Amino acid sequence: MDRRKLIRKILVYAIYILLLSSLQVSYPYSFGFGGQIADFTFVFVVLTGYFYGFKDAAVVGLLMGLARDCLAPIAIIGIDGTLHVSAGIGMLVMFLAGAVGSSFFTKRMHRNIPFAFVSVAFTTLLYKISGHFLAYSWTFIAPAAGNYDLGVYEIVVRSCLLQTLLNLIATIPILLLLRFAGPVSINETRSTSDDVIMTSGDNSWLQI
Amino acid sequence: MKKLLKTKWFIVLAVSLLLIAGIILSFVPGSPLKAAVGLASNAVSPAQKGVKTTGNAFSNFWSALTDGIAIREENKALKEEIADLKYRLNQYEEAAIRYEELKGAFHIRDTFSNYDIYGATILSREADEWFSVIRINAGKNEGIVLEQGQSYPVVDVEMNLVGRVIETEGSTSKVLPLLHEGFSVAGKVNEVNGASVIISGDSVLKRSGLCRVKSFDKGVKLEPGTVIVTSGEGGLFPEGIPIGTISSVDYSSPSEVTATLRPFSSIGELEDVFVMIPFNADENKEGVPGTSETSGQGQGGNG
Repeated sequence: MDRRKLIRKILVYAIYILLLSSLQVSYPYSFGFGGQIADFTFVFVVLTGYFYGFKDAAVVGLLMGLARDCLAPIAIIGIDGTLHVSAGIGMLVMFLAGAVGSSFFTKRMHRNIPFAFVSVAFTTLLYKISGHFLAYSWTFIAPAAGNYDLGVYEIVVRSCLLQTLLNLIATIPILLLLRFAGPVSINETRSTSDDVIMTSGDNSWLQI
Repeated sequence: MKKLLKTKWFIVLAVSLLLIAGIILSFVPGSPLKAAVGLASNAVSPAQKGVKTTGNAFSNFWSALTDGIAIREENKALKEEIADLKYRLNQYEEAAIRYEELKGAFHIRDTFSNYDIYGATILSREADEWFSVIRINAGKNEGIVLEQGQSYPVVDVEMNLVGRVIETEGSTSKVLPLLHEGFSVAGKVNEVNGASVIISGDSVLKRSGLCRVKSFDKGVKLEPGTVIVTSGEGGLFPEGIPIGTISSVDYSSPSEVTATLRPFSSIGELEDVFVMIPFNADENKEGVPGTSETSGQGQGGNG
């Protein structure tokens, strides 16, 4: 990759990381419905993985997660019953989201746009189910954290499905941003053939 | 072996394990990961402030624009002048509301005379449904210093409980909001010898903007609309800060009657909050300057 393209990539990612992470924590209720909030940062990382591959997703995920840890840190009750503000959970979540986003529905589906939605839905569901499982398990490890007595309806409908729906809606503007003002020039993506993607894998974009 | 080290899933596993180790270490005061996050925070915060300011300006401009269109439809001849006046009027109204809000701070000072009141603006809110805390733009630089086991109440302009400070940095503090799953405060019915209750955050009720109320004495009848205030038990919160009203009561289990509470303060609509610091805490702070290493270990117990 030549220097100009690399600089463009770094700049575009830096701007989106700062912009989206700031937007996410500044006006969360503007993107919310039914207690859930459309997660633009999460969707951006998944789509980065889907379109530009694991390396990009890993770096973007870690940095986006770091921004999340800075701006909206997570506080949990520890094993000792004391409340702790943690660091690193956002990085872990976003890194894994990027890894999953770059691994499913990519090569076989030629990174096409309709399956970008499937990828976002799949990763969101995976994240929500894992999150509920971990939060539930944590109450056994740290009894002081209290009960996590969410019903099936709450978990499936009001948490997993609603969050997935909101993230799918958030996918539309993020897709447009990546497509028309993304880290790779649109002209370059047009010239990239399907064969290149099949052979090179990462860092490619399929024009459909 | 070299091939294995380069495989994607090996990298994922290795980085994940490193991050998990970092997360566990972050619970220890003075952990390097937390210090790194603190440093990164200094870089990210100005960008976030910029986005917030721009967003607010855009929001103000948009409301002025839409008002202008409505007026233009009424009187096309005067549309430009009216739009301009309307825009200015909005600005002045906003300034007046702001002034009235800040005036409320003096009321808080009068009511809780043993407390210093620090005004702050909410910088960032919860990013998703799980366990996030909010950040305000007042920290150690503004005189808010936490020591081990300390926590300061945070109220809104109407003196209603918003949450409590659990960690402070240079110019920001982290506030555990009332609806957070880890929040707990001792309360009582707002009357003489009112029944004691425990109000805590709940992962289910949080989505509806409610808290759980439990552990009240048998025989006590709570009814929807009952006002609950802090009881002062536990020492973190002074007595008498309004928390909210009982929204519903569940008597289906006689052994464990529970209720839900709707807080008076709505974090989604708040811009300004006030941190209440007792005078004696200030004295401690002056006695032990620069206690940054010990801050941020708020207790999980009841306030």
